Amino acid sequence: MSSRLRGALCLITACGVAAIAPFVHPSPRPRPPRTPVDQPVTFNRDIAPIIFQSCASCHRPGEAAPFPLLTYEDVKKHARQIADVTRTRIMPPWLPDPQAHKFADEMRLSDAQIGLIQKWVDEGAGEGSAADHLAPPKFVEGWRLGQPDLILRAQKPFILPPQGTDTYWNFIFRVPIEQTRWVKAVEIRPGDKRYVHHANILIDRSGSSRQREAEPGAGFGGMEIRIESQVFDPDSHLLFWKPGTVPYVEPEGLALRLDKGTDLILNTHLQPSGKPELIQPSIGLYFTSHPATKFPMLLQLENDAKLDIPPGEKDFEVTDDFTFPVDIKVLAIYPHAHYLGRDIRAFATLPDGSEKSLIHIPQWNLNWQAVYRFEEPVFLPKGTKVALRYVYDNSEGNPLNPNHPPVRVMGGNRSSDEMCHLWLQVLPVNFDAAQGDPRMLLQEALARHNIEKNPGDFEAHYNLAAMLQAKGKLDEAAQQYQAALRLRPEDAVVNNAMGSVLLARGRPDQAMAFLEAALKARPEYFDAHYNLGNALAAQDDFSGAAQQFRLALQTHPDDANAEANLGSALAEMGRLAEAKAHFERALQIDPNHSLAKENLEELRQQMKQQ
Amino acid sequence: MCLLAAFAAAQESAFDLDGKTVNPLAAAPGKIVVLVFLRRDCPVSSRYAPVIQSVAAEHARDANFWLVYPDKDDSPQAIRDYLHVYGYQLPALRDPGHVLVKQAHAEITPEVAVFDADRQLVYHGRIDDWYVDFGRSRPHPTTHELRDAIEAALRGKQPAHTAVKGIGCYISDLE
Repeated sequence: MSSRLRGALCLITACGVAAIAPFVHPSPRPRPPRTPVDQPVTFNRDIAPIIFQSCASCHRPGEAAPFPLLTYEDVKKHARQIADVTRTRIMPPWLPDPQAHKFADEMRLSDAQIGLIQKWVDEGAGEGSAADHLAPPKFVEGWRLGQPDLILRAQKPFILPPQGTDTYWNFIFRVPIEQTRWVKAVEIRPGDKRYVHHANILIDRSGSSRQREAEPGAGFGGMEIRIESQVFDPDSHLLFWKPGTVPYVEPEGLALRLDKGTDLILNTHLQPSGKPELIQPSIGLYFTSHPATKFPMLLQLENDAKLDIPPGEKDFEVTDDFTFPVDIKVLAIYPHAHYLGRDIRAFATLPDGSEKSLIHIPQWNLNWQAVYRFEEPVFLPKGTKVALRYVYDNSEGNPLNPNHPPVRVMGGNRSSDEMCHLWLQVLPVNFDAAQGDPRMLLQEALARHNIEKNPGDFEAHYNLAAMLQAKGKLDEAAQQYQAALRLRPEDAVVNNAMGSVLLARGRPDQAMAFLEAALKARPEYFDAHYNLGNALAAQDDFSGAAQQFRLALQTHPDDANAEANLGSALAEMGRLAEAKAHFERALQIDPNHSLAKENLEELRQQMKQQ
Repeated sequence: MCLLAAFAAAQESAFDLDGKTVNPLAAAPGKIVVLVFLRRDCPVSSRYAPVIQSVAAEHARDANFWLVYPDKDDSPQAIRDYLHVYGYQLPALRDPGHVLVKQAHAEITPEVAVFDADRQLVYHGRIDDWYVDFGRSRPHPTTHELRDAIEAALRGKQPAHTAVKGIGCYISDLE
């Protein structure tokens, strides 16, 4: 009887995932300023349209801003402050400089609008004529896209202490779906929006984050988290919330796949308010019956290994660049650094030598980090080099420096470490599907680039190995897994993957040691138990194999493959009645499980003959 | 003119939350007086609640702290609710006529004014340098003007700074 091998896992460090939404344009649309130079600026005629268009969607009850800006009285009470924050462009919060490739939903006031606000305040902030009165905009209450198809609510609130530095908390949402669904929109309601600075959804298809919870539903702390994802299944969407975000409906064909057993991890950045706050986010999912037909991929440029910033250094520059092996469209961009980042830039150099700015943030501020979606996707032909150039300020003059006096800062996951990341959401185009999945080509090219840049990049070795294994290049895959294991000899995931390669090469005897090492590092590791079961079965130790499949099933009781293989092992041991029960159980989980069907049929024949 | 004068006279003092006239500088002679200007709708003011409470607790014996709310639209009940949710254990005053605002030269919330035992204004301005701009705060403050001013006043000395402008919400926007 045959059994199935479970594929390797692919590690992807992820920091953010999905769609930002268009800014709600409240009606009525603003009228162009039409104040003659000699007339005083008034709220009703000149200022209300600007405020209602650009401020009110956050500055209203229940939203992120600390006070409403819906009436003359509201605005008058903050008039000088509004003049200050618009003049310095602190508000509306929008970090990137203007560029040829515009972002969707830019929250940027024009110089003329800013000038009008200054003039209004200088002239005494008058209300103006009642005839000019403009009604405040009407906003959709509750879920912006109507009732979601599925609402997930964090099991337990996080209690944010009144005082202290910024806090990062992760909530795990178990998605109660029985079959694969396609998601066209996600609305993140981060709890009390006033205290959540931003939130990111990460997709965990392997349940790996659950191990970090002290108890189910408790959530866990941490600014940057690492997710393991099954086989080759790169993240495709940047699911991001910041103040002002409203949900965005993906264009047809770009839906996000959600499978049974998938967890959504909501990574939140919280800022203490002065009093204790209960933060209990929820997520609304909107499904579509149209499966994805286009497959974007999140691709990360980074150079954390180069981050070793001496204390006092004001202009520490870090770069990375990657040349695309296929034509792509860039859909969205998400730069990420911590508190020392100052000037953040990414640009593309095309094969003809021309240059395009993808983003430039001259004054980085982690507190206002965001995913930026291009208004029109940016086409970059094969051979285009995309580069990042980040400048860090570790001097006393950087007020956001967490260390006073400054200390040496290295790359790392803690908020006091630094980061140099740039996520791109790219859609491969103009490729020949017969040549294979272009995302695998991208992943392989990126892994090779990362290894060249930093031979000590564990994840790059791992990802390259996984790509090679998927292409059937088992010897090269084994070399890369070995390189990863030299960096982290006890890593459970790599030991398991190495075991699976050796199994695929027909060396179950050699696979044993790696699978056992995987289980030593992580005793409740489904894949390693499953693969070890197969290794033992291949060496005719069916009793040992059955034991491993049972252990695997303790972790994932609904796995049809493990049930079917347990049935096979028991059948080999002659325990036919028990074997039959497990084949039946496999078919209960997956009625189309062909191995279980075939084996059950064969078993029935055998039982008849006896 | 007469009417205006009468109106102004009615606002020539601050009130406690029961509506009684209070002059915080007349009470408890010999002690330092610290006025803390706050707006309920100012997030910077609110985030400082634990800091203000802890500095006040450290100096409970030698300084009288008063929270001052200069927004004329703030009702006593709204202020009571605010004190409760932010865990304040300090007396609060309403200053609708900005009498204390003027005496303390307060411009921003949150700002503080420190009066020595002789009721001379020795310091007014920010609490510390936690905020560097709207929406830009340091992980931890690196200067502590309020603490320094209280300690200087206790020793009968002038603090290093007599005024440092705060970051937050303008009191003049309430006029």
